[in-house]
Amino acid sequence: MTLGAFVRKNRPRWQKLETMLGVIETRGPRRTSRPFLQELSALYRSTTGDLAFAQTHYRGTTLLLFLHQLVARAHHQIYRPHRLTLQIACSFFRNDIPQAIRGHLQAVIWSGIVFLLGIAFGLSAVQFDERVALIILPTEVLNSIYSGHMWTESVFNVLPGAVSSTLLFTSNISVALFAFAGGLSFGLVTFWVLFVNGFLLGVVLKLCSKYGLLGVALEFIAGHGLLEISAIVVSGGAGFVVANALLNPGSWSRADALAVQGRSAVRMALASVPALIIAGCIEAFISPSHFPVWFKIVLGLVLGGLFWLYLLLTGESEKQA
Amino acid sequence: MNTPSQTWDTRKTALELPEEIDLQIEVANVGSRTLAILVDIACCAFLLLVGYVTVSLLASNQGADWIDRFGSSAITMLFLLLVFGLQWGYFNFFEWFWNGQTPGKRLLHLRVIKVDGTPVSLIDVLLRNLSRPIDTFGPMGLIGLLMIFVSRNAQRLGDLMARTLVIHETPIDWSVFDAIEAATAPNQNTPVPSVRLDPAQWELLQRYLSRRTQLQPDQRARLAVSLQANLKPLVRGTDLELSPLPSEEWLLELARRI
Repeated sequence: MTLGAFVRKNRPRWQKLETMLGVIETRGPRRTSRPFLQELSALYRSTTGDLAFAQTHYRGTTLLLFLHQLVARAHHQIYRPHRLTLQIACSFFRNDIPQAIRGHLQAVIWSGIVFLLGIAFGLSAVQFDERVALIILPTEVLNSIYSGHMWTESVFNVLPGAVSSTLLFTSNISVALFAFAGGLSFGLVTFWVLFVNGFLLGVVLKLCSKYGLLGVALEFIAGHGLLEISAIVVSGGAGFVVANALLNPGSWSRADALAVQGRSAVRMALASVPALIIAGCIEAFISPSHFPVWFKIVLGLVLGGLFWLYLLLTGESEKQA
Repeated sequence: MNTPSQTWDTRKTALELPEEIDLQIEVANVGSRTLAILVDIACCAFLLLVGYVTVSLLASNQGADWIDRFGSSAITMLFLLLVFGLQWGYFNFFEWFWNGQTPGKRLLHLRVIKVDGTPVSLIDVLLRNLSRPIDTFGPMGLIGLLMIFVSRNAQRLGDLMARTLVIHETPIDWSVFDAIEAATAPNQNTPVPSVRLDPAQWELLQRYLSRRTQLQPDQRARLAVSLQANLKPLVRGTDLELSPLPSEEWLLELARRI
């Protein structure tokens, strides 16, 4: 068949398929009828036949280019993944996230060790030379510590709770997601994020204890600290999972290891998001307020404990492969 | 419209369909991807500007009563959420709801798909976009650029992790066949000696006929002469060989006989 006759004979069919694709692309498959879908799939199959014919006989033509585009668009509509339903989303939080964490506990432990290392360095750095704090802490914070006040008093008096909680949890989530993405730098960025955050905490604690503020500082941290640090450590673990896939892919190719491990790593990172939102709200509303100390301590322990119980014990256990 | 050619910036990848066909997919090149990102960043910057102006006009802590203060803190909070949302949510949101496209990608006819040709799911979108701080934004963008240059299917690290491709979709325009079909149509019942063109020659004629109205008159005539010289051997032995028609008329007459 000549190219001209081929186009003349089949063009109405291809154009029909194209208009039908336009409909299904805007409306989605659920709001189309059964005969529509049947016709679409029949047209798709016959067009793949035309594509095969054109590949053999009409190389390098505009028509072949169009048929490739058309078949790709139709394939894209016909082979769809499952729609995200509420059920799948629930199962994601109930089963997938805890499973991902339990599968990579080692990475989480390493991440915790790096964070503790940061704290230890921070503590001993201030012990060694107090001027370290000048480099990494803002002056307002330093001045209020030197004068024997918690810097949080002034900060939280100026900002309303709603604003400061948003500020806190958005910046914390950014840190957590950055720690996850940092895995792609072979873990260097993840290491740096965890270490610096631990270092800051260590410096602040040691400085507070030098100026007689340790009790107040610990009271401030008690409510949200455990949950917040746990969440950061978990997403740091996610970063290390990615880094491990790159550095140590085992019997897989690096690309395959990255794709497989990345999937569980992003689940771990997402576990930290709701935890950090809760921690941010507590840090803004409850920690600076005049609730009794025992309440803050109990709240912190309960929330931190629940977070780890959720990650370690809930959901279906891993299916044996 | 360019013919498919394998130069450094048009890379194709084969998808094997269940229908046993090798589908050639055109992978988006560095230039269009960078441009798409720039368009998206410009969109974000514009939204940020609008948000910032709104905040500085409406929110102030000087308000007299608690309603003022409540309102201004709500606006400040919304602004913070906007900044956060644009930073981490913009690409995720659009690529999920627009099936692999952001405003920038839509402008440049790009789309994110899975390496097997199916649409992206939410987790794929999250994987490829949460990794952007490491290979897209700021100076880190160099890493992404390098990856797009060197990796076979122009995948940056996030694409490798999510197993996604960014493809270029050439818009289909069936009307390019109109001109040649219109020229061919009237001869259905008038018997004229038919001429057989091979696909490349038909393609040549089709492109000329569909585009001739857009060409400069002198270029149009020159092209017609060179096409006529190319196609002349086909009509050896028919009346068309010695026909005194001017080149363009001659081409139309040829189209009538195929």
